[in-house]
Amino acid sequence: MIDIKNLSKSFGDHLVLDDISEHIAPGEKVVVIGPSGSGKSTFLRCLNLLETPTGGSITFDGVEITDPKCDINLIRRQMGMVFQHFNLFPNMTIRKNITLAPVRTGLMKQEQADEEATRLLQRVNLLDKADAYPAQLSGGQKQRIAIVRALAMKPKLMLFDEPTSALDPEMVGEVLEVMKELADEGMTMVVVTHEMGFAREVGTRVLFMDGGHIIEQNEPHAFFANPKEQRTIDFLSKVL
Amino acid sequence: MDLWTVIAEKWMEFGAKFSTAFIEGGRWKLYLKGLASTLELTVIALVLGTVLGVAVAVIRSAHDQQRVGRKKNPVLSVINGICKVYTTVIRGTPMMVQLLIWGYVIFATSRNHTMVGALGLGINSGAYVAEIVRGGLMSVDVGQTEAGRSLGLGYVDTMRFIVIPQAFKNILPALGNEFITLFKDTSLVSAIGGAELVYYAKAVGTKTYDVMLPYIGIAVMYLVFVLILTWLQGKLERRMRQSDRH
Repeated sequence: MIDIKNLSKSFGDHLVLDDISEHIAPGEKVVVIGPSGSGKSTFLRCLNLLETPTGGSITFDGVEITDPKCDINLIRRQMGMVFQHFNLFPNMTIRKNITLAPVRTGLMKQEQADEEATRLLQRVNLLDKADAYPAQLSGGQKQRIAIVRALAMKPKLMLFDEPTSALDPEMVGEVLEVMKELADEGMTMVVVTHEMGFAREVGTRVLFMDGGHIIEQNEPHAFFANPKEQRTIDFLSKVL
Repeated sequence: MDLWTVIAEKWMEFGAKFSTAFIEGGRWKLYLKGLASTLELTVIALVLGTVLGVAVAVIRSAHDQQRVGRKKNPVLSVINGICKVYTTVIRGTPMMVQLLIWGYVIFATSRNHTMVGALGLGINSGAYVAEIVRGGLMSVDVGQTEAGRSLGLGYVDTMRFIVIPQAFKNILPALGNEFITLFKDTSLVSAIGGAELVYYAKAVGTKTYDVMLPYIGIAVMYLVFVLILTWLQGKLERRMRQSDRH
């Protein structure tokens, strides 16, 4: 589904991603972990070109998205993204947050989008918040809405950038629950997270990043049971 | 002479002066004419200033937000340069001097002083509005743009539905102040012969040999309008804060 070849990204003189090549197949749930500053968020943000790579290429469903001639808006409509700080639109009601993109991009008519929003809100038990504004919601509720907002575009792939890092501990569970359901339905997911439990339970593959490289990757149980690289061992000993 | 007589005399004197300044010879009509022309100036300059200001602000932020690593658009760079010169020159010179140049240099032959004044005011206001709007656009968290773009919305839709409404709410107080300043600055147009409130007050003062009442009179008129504008601004701000309620 996504082919990443020799991906590099630098900010000025600072090399954040160094020649990364990776393939993500449909249905995979790839969990990216690593210390802060390792480049994992930048890696994720390169996948939908929120960061423009400085080298290499990314191909999504056979389309090279790093080609300057590629219409990135068409690609982004097929990739949902969930942010650490939710980034709901505070000037709109929850319903409008969800329906804006499907309607404006011509994916759905307003009535269709409203029905879809109702269905999605029911699914995360937040239908009663449809006409509320984001400021009236808790962090966990906001993040569930953010997930639903991305799903309204019917994406083929979901990117999660530390979706639970800004949440109070008691709200992490409700968000992970929604992500788990999504995974069970077969959604292809790339998740940057510090939730090792989630990585182990939901992930089909764990990537460990440090210093702009993918140091080690494996199927989660093997990864956590027998890490091979010294840096992975050091990192896991600190977070587990 | 007891105190009451003095007060009564002074009062009669004031009444006579008031009548000379505002009523006799239908002078109140002059003030009304001046007021209408002041308001007309304000509205034209306001529209011109807002259109110019928003356009300049959008061009300048579009230029600054171009994706790093990609080739900069050369046309945008040239327009951005022009916008920069515009704001620098206008903000760096006194409004009075600008009006004198518009009135006596560039449009020296024009006899429509009010329109020339409105043009000068609007172009002046545009430079300030541009900086206010640009600040407002920058005040919106970059995560908002990222969220909009990540959903597949284009630059224009993201600006229109997400960034500009939030920026507008943030800049409303500054924008309101700018408009109130603009309203008061219309008085400068009298310097190039624009027939607005100050122009007529001066005319009445010259004719009646008393400038005190005409000038205090128009000061009160300006104040009343500023109070109305401030009240409207407060109302609008409260309405815009609707989405902040918890």
